[in-house]
Amino acid sequence: MRKQLFAILLFCLVLAAPAFVTAAPLPIVSWDFLGGGDGVKWTQLVNDFNASQSAYKVSSTTLPWGVEFYTRVHTGVVAGETADVMTYHLSHFPTGIKMGDLRPITDAELRSVGLSYKDFNPTLVAYSQADSAAYGKAGVLYGVPLDTHTVVVYYNKDLLTKAGVLGGNGKPTGTAGIDTFTATLKKIKDATGVLPITTSSGNDTGGPWRLWYTLFSQMGGTLVKNGKLDLSAMDTTGKKALQTFHDWASQGLINTDTDYGAAVALFTSGKAAFMINGNWEVPTMVDLAKSGKLGFDYGVMAFPKLFTMGASFADSHELAIPNNTKNPLSGAKLKGVLAFIAYVEKHADVWAGGGHLPAYLPVLNGKELAAMSPNNQYSVDAAKIVSFEPNTPVFGVGGTIYTAFTNFMTPALTDQISIDDAVSQFKNEVTKLSM
Amino acid sequence: MSHAVEITGVRADAKRPRKLRMGNPAAAIPLLAPFLVLFLAFIVYPTVRVIMLSFTNADIAGVGTYIGAGNYVRLVQDKDFWLALWHTVYFVLLTVVPNTLIGLLFAFLILKMKRLRGLAQALFFLSYVLPVSVVTQIWLWVLEKNYGIINFIFDLKVSWFRTAVPAMPATAFVTIWWTVGFNVLMFVAGLTAIPREYYEAASLDGAKGGFKLFRYITWPLLWPVTSLVLVLQLIAQWQIFNQVYLLTFGGPFNRTRVVLLYMYQQAFNQQHGGYGATISMALFLIILITSIVQIRILRVRAL
Repeated sequence: MRKQLFAILLFCLVLAAPAFVTAAPLPIVSWDFLGGGDGVKWTQLVNDFNASQSAYKVSSTTLPWGVEFYTRVHTGVVAGETADVMTYHLSHFPTGIKMGDLRPITDAELRSVGLSYKDFNPTLVAYSQADSAAYGKAGVLYGVPLDTHTVVVYYNKDLLTKAGVLGGNGKPTGTAGIDTFTATLKKIKDATGVLPITTSSGNDTGGPWRLWYTLFSQMGGTLVKNGKLDLSAMDTTGKKALQTFHDWASQGLINTDTDYGAAVALFTSGKAAFMINGNWEVPTMVDLAKSGKLGFDYGVMAFPKLFTMGASFADSHELAIPNNTKNPLSGAKLKGVLAFIAYVEKHADVWAGGGHLPAYLPVLNGKELAAMSPNNQYSVDAAKIVSFEPNTPVFGVGGTIYTAFTNFMTPALTDQISIDDAVSQFKNEVTKLSM
Repeated sequence: MSHAVEITGVRADAKRPRKLRMGNPAAAIPLLAPFLVLFLAFIVYPTVRVIMLSFTNADIAGVGTYIGAGNYVRLVQDKDFWLALWHTVYFVLLTVVPNTLIGLLFAFLILKMKRLRGLAQALFFLSYVLPVSVVTQIWLWVLEKNYGIINFIFDLKVSWFRTAVPAMPATAFVTIWWTVGFNVLMFVAGLTAIPREYYEAASLDGAKGGFKLFRYITWPLLWPVTSLVLVLQLIAQWQIFNQVYLLTFGGPFNRTRVVLLYMYQQAFNQQHGGYGATISMALFLIILITSIVQIRILRVRAL
């Protein structure tokens, strides 16, 4: 009896053997820095890709966001031990391309999986091409854009109605132009007594920089000329932008010295009418509203045009391939990486659940996004006014620009230093840091 | 005056020190080898590499060309480095002696308790076991400008970590809160090691009053512990980085930028690996020299 059982088992194993040999999917290693709420969406995309086909299996490791991630990428490239695909920031392209950490992805390679350079947000692509030309090889992209993330304005519909500044279409009125907007803020303060705008500063070094840069860009200011750092606009436009921010603060229309968590809590607890923050807090709002803990009706809009042009600080998550010259990517793995990138791009509506604006135009203008609220309130408008972080190596995630801003410009908001002093010291620091 | 505890292993009346009988030395090697291997691989080798790195213009991954003493020349002329050094000295002054004295004070208070002594000791040590990021999160909230408890209780609107004058003292305060438990432990051990008979003998000899007993019995007999704590504190506080990075980022106006934060910015933010190595070598030498000087001045002896 036992001998027969054994024979049957052996027979089954022999039958199944080919399955073990042929069905093993090719492993693809991915590194990402998405530890926040949007990390959940990324994990979902990875799992969905793995489930949708059996040729490749992506395993994604989440590393800390910021300096640590980029240091690891660089040391990995130098040592020849890298991932096969990774997430990256557009704002770090100048440094990354210059240090040789990124492998270009050609249009032909993208076409092999049904994508093309022209399928993506043209502003994004043009900016990325400028980086390629300035720091690497012209004409190719060093990463495939996944999204744009930008500064948007969240608003409390109940408080705005109480102040009489909510229009019939459920959108705020009186937001066009700086004088009108400031008057609206004053009206909100007088009518309801709440803080008109909450935004983070304090331990969040990026917050004030992004708001200031938005105002600066709207006034037509730039910090880069001909691919080089140019701080001449700081003395005119830079001061004006800081002055606007400062005046709001001194009139009690915006908060200062508030840490990120506290700033968001002010809005979600109904103690502020507007919140100026990145679109990444959308999942927070969606979850709070769904669980019934929000207590008010909210909306999200693109940053209003307050000066000569519409603009809003933006950065972009990219999908990139580490430039591993010691152990280059094999042809088979490259195919897998491209297949993964194509899948993620075509399903970027899942990614948009994190609040981001997809870079892939068919999804940005597609019906899934049009049906997704609150993304459909701001995504298309915000994508038109993106003003990316200046593209020289001193800027970007992992650089020192945020600290320089917090150190010298933010204290001007609380009158610890004059606007003129702040701007001149900031200029000195940035010049030193870019050497 | 001899110390209460001695470990020389020599009989007081011996003419020649007795040789300690050594066992089989060969048996020691396999026992020491694992530690030595790890020590050489993870402490000695990287240190040697950092010294080598400081003579190059390498980026953060250590690939660069030899430039001789160029980095050191640049360091001497670097105003930001000397400012960072001054801020570190300020921090050291705010923490080393106060942390030691506060630890001693708490140790005294703990020893006055009878039933709750164990609980008190545990509570004081509790803050020491917290990781630094938890400590800084706690204090960022407690000292938060608009919603923190301290500003609420005292009706203030001070941004403790982002105003130039209070920033460093606030960071020093958080550091002391976090690490005093260790000093308390050392002092409690040191104080309980002093034999009671000394106090009894002294009061019989006419030393009445707490201060006289403290000055002539406690302080000298506690000196090995006190001086050790001071040296350990000095070495530790020269290397301040975590609290500054998490609480102030070196601001405002770079006023709390300490040497190691400056090194971090140079090496990791600006990819100047060689120069960053130079800064850390300079700090290493400073710590070495000041702790040797301190040991000599305080006449630190074995416990």
